[in-house]
Amino acid sequence: MSNVLTQRLRGLLSIGCLCLAFNLCTAQENKTIIGPSNPDLYNGAEALRAGNAEEGVRLTLRGLQTESDSRDRTTGLSNLCAGYILLKQFDTALSYCNQVLARNDRHWRGYSNRALVYIQLERYPEAEQDLQMAETLAPKSRKVKTVRAMLLDATDPVAPQIVIDDRRQPADDDAN
Amino acid sequence: MVAGLLVAATLSVADDSVNVSASPADTGERIPLHTVVPKYPESARRARVEGEVEVCFNVDRRGRTHRVSVRRSSNKAFEKPAKNAVRASTYRPLAEGRELSGIKTCRTFRFFLNPVAIEIP
Repeated sequence: MSNVLTQRLRGLLSIGCLCLAFNLCTAQENKTIIGPSNPDLYNGAEALRAGNAEEGVRLTLRGLQTESDSRDRTTGLSNLCAGYILLKQFDTALSYCNQVLARNDRHWRGYSNRALVYIQLERYPEAEQDLQMAETLAPKSRKVKTVRAMLLDATDPVAPQIVIDDRRQPADDDAN
Repeated sequence: MVAGLLVAATLSVADDSVNVSASPADTGERIPLHTVVPKYPESARRARVEGEVEVCFNVDRRGRTHRVSVRRSSNKAFEKPAKNAVRASTYRPLAEGRELSGIKTCRTFRFFLNPVAIEIP
């Protein structure tokens, strides 16, 4: 049961990874180096993506102790928020999401993950507020749409119903 | 054009599972033997999308459905489950001596979402 919940949460989490953990030097420096600028942050993100929350959090925390640029730092904090959601430590997750959004108030993953935290904490009005921001910043994100559905399921649940009408009638291609 | 209402099956659903609460009526023509109810597409449920699909098909002598096609649809998300449900459904075999009419049967699936009232104890 617990594993099922963890797996479901993992699918919903927005984990920043490759795009931010890699450092690409410019051509102006006459060399191009591709690779993680902060291996711990990179490996932490990979562990989180694989669902290994404890390892992911451990590596990310270690990665944040080393010197990293502002963007990597924001990504690390965002991934910590995601990691603590996986660990179901929602209050800790919330504090990291808050830090992310204090650093960058246009970080859609931060809003999406924090909305998820608020849903878990049953703080639905705050979840709604964050979701609206996430939807504005990333209107096509499937993760944001799924979190929206989770909020709807929590606040306005619906029961699917299907009515079947059977009739015998000539179809268009029978009319000759 | 319309011979009559053959089936009006209302399905009550809880947590995406479906139960047939009404059985089809007999019009004297091909009689449904086993009616499969499609599953409400999860993506549609989550997005709170409702819709309607009309699927037409032939029924052979043995009661199996053939040439299943969508005649009318309000949303593509419902087409595949509706077609699959028809393909898995069967009719009573045609009695000896009776001829196939060649007329297509059409089945309309209405997918809708009912608000659930939850009372916190």
